[in-house]
Amino acid sequence: MRKRRSIFDILRERMEELEAIAEEMLDQFVERPSWDTSSQSLEPLCDVSVRSDSVIVTADLPRVDPKSIRVSGISDDLIEITAEMKVKINFEDFGVTHRRGEFSRFSCRVPLPVPVDISRARARFRRGILEVILPRKLGYEIKIE
Amino acid sequence: MSDRVRIIERMEIPKGLRAIFGLPDVGLVGTIAASHIISKMKLTEVAYVKSELLPPIIMLEEGLPKAPIRIFGGEKLIVLTSEIAIPSSSIYSIIEALTGWIWKKKVQEVFTLGGLPVPNRYEIEKPKIFGAASNKNLLERLKEKNIQLIKRGFLVGPQALILSFCSEHGIPAIALLAECFHNYPDPEASSIVIQALNRMIDMDIDISELIEKGEEVRLAMRDMMRRTQAELSRMRKSHEYDIPGYYIK
Repeated sequence: MRKRRSIFDILRERMEELEAIAEEMLDQFVERPSWDTSSQSLEPLCDVSVRSDSVIVTADLPRVDPKSIRVSGISDDLIEITAEMKVKINFEDFGVTHRRGEFSRFSCRVPLPVPVDISRARARFRRGILEVILPRKLGYEIKIE
Repeated sequence: MSDRVRIIERMEIPKGLRAIFGLPDVGLVGTIAASHIISKMKLTEVAYVKSELLPPIIMLEEGLPKAPIRIFGGEKLIVLTSEIAIPSSSIYSIIEALTGWIWKKKVQEVFTLGGLPVPNRYEIEKPKIFGAASNKNLLERLKEKNIQLIKRGFLVGPQALILSFCSEHGIPAIALLAECFHNYPDPEASSIVIQALNRMIDMDIDISELIEKGEEVRLAMRDMMRRTQAELSRMRKSHEYDIPGYYIK
């Protein structure tokens, strides 16, 4: 007779499956270039953090002209960040002589993990870091008896 | 030292030197600091790490192959650094081998440079420096130099292993950690740890160039930060934010 599995075994297995998926996503994230010569763009380092009332997206944008930074909502769960660099750079600036191409901008699309109200979003740029604060969509409030 | 990690010496390394670790970690604070020290002090490669636990990567410099984890040296000190994110699965063996080698070389003392991630880093004008050490006398030395101690909390990754292995071998070791971004290269934090190191060992490494070239450094370190970030997630680096459990004094 097959031994009945405990809820803990099932949970552990489920956790392991989720960890394997997360691991795969981490690998996929880095296994492609962070630059694109056809659009002359570099992908900035980005971070998404979900708080109780907002989603905060940050991006590291060194050497950009602050006035050129654009943040736009592509859909309910995707924003696009673009910024032009003050001066173009090329591979040789990094000491790399076997690749060709130059870069004039940063560009990335950031998926948002929870629903937000993009129309109420605000952004600021400090110390070369862009911070976009997107208020989360309000749900129903449950009254406490 | 396990056979799976070997330290190959390119020249004879005198005993009794100081060793400075600058390995990839949050904000690449240690790596940027190490690279600045190597360049300012004109240190040359004296040894490298050879290990089957590392990915099959070489670094080409002027067309010639170099190992990604290397030791640079001068008359008084050696600097241990890496040009790749060290895989989380091999960090234990790599640091165990490096500290074992340091012990054999009778290194006088070890400094490990790094960062302490703070979520609101972009609101901080000047990052604060903190210290931890492998023995009580060294904690006193940190206090004398006005470096605040990390009295209680978790350390994860290279710093954690360097301090614990050095403590086991009886090698005096100090960690100098500046407040920094978790996943953005932070040359400003690197300049703060270099200034603290200057105070600790009466050196005078100029940091003005590091500050001036801050944006350039951030741009150049982007890919390494991305890969380091992935390894740090595997090491459960976020554990450092955890508040340790209840304890009875």
